[in-house]
Amino acid sequence: MKQIFVRPDRCMACRSCETACAVQHSADKTLFSAVLQEPPPMKRLFVGAAEGIRMPVICRHCEDAPCLRACISGCLYRDDHGFVRRRKERCIGCWTCIMLCPFGVITRDSEKHIAVKCDRCHKLDIPACVNACPTRALVMAEPEEVAADRRQKALLAASGGD
Amino acid sequence: MDYIIIGGGIAGITAAKTIRRRDRHAGITIISGEKVCPYYRPMIPLLIEDDDADVTYAGDPLGKYEIALLHDRVEHVAAEEREVVLAGGRRRGFDRLLIATGSRPVIPRIEGISGPGVFTLRTVDDALGIKAALHGVKKAAVIGGGFVGIKAALALCRRGIEVTIVEQLGQILPRRLDARAAEIVSEALARRGIRILTGSAVSGIMHDGGRIAVRLESGSITEAGLVVVAAGVRPDIETFRDSGIKTGLGIRVGGMLETNIPGIYAAGDVVEFRDLLTGRPSVSGLWSNAEEMGRIAGANMAGDRIKFGGFLPVMNAAEIADIPIVSAGIIEPLEEGYETVIDEGPGRYRRLVFRGDMLYGVLFIGDVRNAGIYVNLLKNRIPLGALMEKAASGDLRYVHFVKTHPPAGLAL
Repeated sequence: MKQIFVRPDRCMACRSCETACAVQHSADKTLFSAVLQEPPPMKRLFVGAAEGIRMPVICRHCEDAPCLRACISGCLYRDDHGFVRRRKERCIGCWTCIMLCPFGVITRDSEKHIAVKCDRCHKLDIPACVNACPTRALVMAEPEEVAADRRQKALLAASGGD
Repeated sequence: MDYIIIGGGIAGITAAKTIRRRDRHAGITIISGEKVCPYYRPMIPLLIEDDDADVTYAGDPLGKYEIALLHDRVEHVAAEEREVVLAGGRRRGFDRLLIATGSRPVIPRIEGISGPGVFTLRTVDDALGIKAALHGVKKAAVIGGGFVGIKAALALCRRGIEVTIVEQLGQILPRRLDARAAEIVSEALARRGIRILTGSAVSGIMHDGGRIAVRLESGSITEAGLVVVAAGVRPDIETFRDSGIKTGLGIRVGGMLETNIPGIYAAGDVVEFRDLLTGRPSVSGLWSNAEEMGRIAGANMAGDRIKFGGFLPVMNAAEIADIPIVSAGIIEPLEEGYETVIDEGPGRYRRLVFRGDMLYGVLFIGDVRNAGIYVNLLKNRIPLGALMEKAASGDLRYVHFVKTHPPAGLAL
C-alpha cells in the first residue's frame, strides 16, 4: 500500500500542506469558509525548520504506536487500512497520547477537550497535504519503490557516479 | 501450552493479547476477582459523575483473542505443582503464569475509616458504590490530593457536592507538580468550589447515625456525608507471600519480567523494578507502564526474549479543571547537580530538569504541545548534545533531531 513520504530536500516551508490539512478538517472543507470558521479548524501536521532542514512533520501511523497503546479510554484504534484513528466520542481529554507521541503531532482541541490527530484523510485517495504540496516534498509511494530508489542513489554515490 | 494470568487489568489483558498473537493454540485464562472485566481503570471517576459513562472496551477483546475469563479469587500459588489454588481449594494447572494483580488502595490507620460511607476508588465497584451512596449527600471529604483524589473530588463536585480535599503534604500532587504548578492547579480547583487543605492529616472519621464528620489533627472538624480515601496504592502481593516467589516492594522480577521461579512472570503495578532515572527499586502504579510490561511479559512467556529497561514512576498526563498537565521524571530533585529551567507565561507554566545534557524532569502545565518529544527524550535516555540549548528553551520539536540525532530521523 502506498504511504506518505517526506522529502525534506524539496520542502520550502511554504505551509501549503498545513493549510490544506486545516481546510480538509473544517466544517465546509473550502478555504474561504475555513478562514472564517470560529474557532479555526486545526491542522494535523506541522512544518518545522531547523539548521539545514525544513520539513512537514506528520503522523507516521506507527506500527507500534505509543499513542494507541497507551490510550486509556478506547478512543484511538487502528482502522482496516492500518491508520491510527479516533473514536472521537470516546476521547476524555487525558492527553496521554500527547505525552507519549515522539513526533509531537497530536494536539489538544481546547474547545472540545479532545485530542486531534491525522486521520490520513481516509476518505480521500490522496491526502490533502500531499495533494497541496507544490514541490512534491510530500509524495505517495510504495515503500519498496522508495527503498529501491534510495539504494540506487547510495550505490551511485558510493561508486562515484551521479 | 496453558497460560494463566492473575488479574484482568491492562497488564493482564495486554499480556493475554500478546500471547495470542504469538501462539494460536495456547489456552489463555485470565482469573479476575472483579465482576466487570476488562475495563479502562483510569476512567472510573467518570462513573461517579456521568450516568452514561462507558468504561468498558469497545468490541470484545476477550472473544476476539479467544481469552477465557474466570471470575474467581486466587488464594495461593503452588509453584512446585505449577497450580493456582482458587477460592474453596479448587486448583488449576499452568505451564506459564503471569501475576498481574495490580495494586490496592492504601488505607491509613485512622479511627473510623472502616465505617460506612467511607470508600476507596480503585475498581468499577468502588465507583458505582460511591455513586449509589450520593443520594442526599451535600458534603464530602477526600483524603489524599493525588490524581485519584482530585478526580474523585471533581466528579463529586459535578454532582453538586461540596468537597474538601485533605492532603498531608504541603501541596497537592506531590512529586508530580512543583509548588508553583500546584498553586496554579489548586486555584483552578478552588474556582470550581473545591476546598483544599494541605499540610493537614485526618485523625479520625466520626460516625453518628448516618452522619459522618472528619476530624483533622489540628482539631478542626469537617462535616462530610461521604469520605473517599485516596491515599495512594501499593502492590497487591499478599496472596504470594508463602509461594516462594520473591517479593520486596512488589513482586521481584528480572529483566525479562520473570520472577525467581521459572515460568512465573509478573507485570504492571504489582512489580518491583528499577526506576529508569535513579536505578532504585520502585513501583510504578501507572497504566502506560503496566501496558508496556504486559506486552513484554506476554511476549517472553510465549518464548521471546525482550528486556524491560525500567519505568518512570512519574509519567502522568491529565486535564484538571481545564488545565492540561504532563509530568514525567524527577520534577524536584532532592540531590545536587541538577539544573532547573522554569518558564511561565500567560496560561502556561513549564519546568525542565537537566543533569549534564540529559533530561531528568518535564513538567508542562496549560500548554502540553510537544510534551511527547520531551517525555520520549527522558524515557529513552537520549543525550541532548547540541540540542541542549534548544531543549532548555522549551521549544524543541521533532525537526531538530533529524540532523543531530539521525536514528530518530531515519523514518524520512
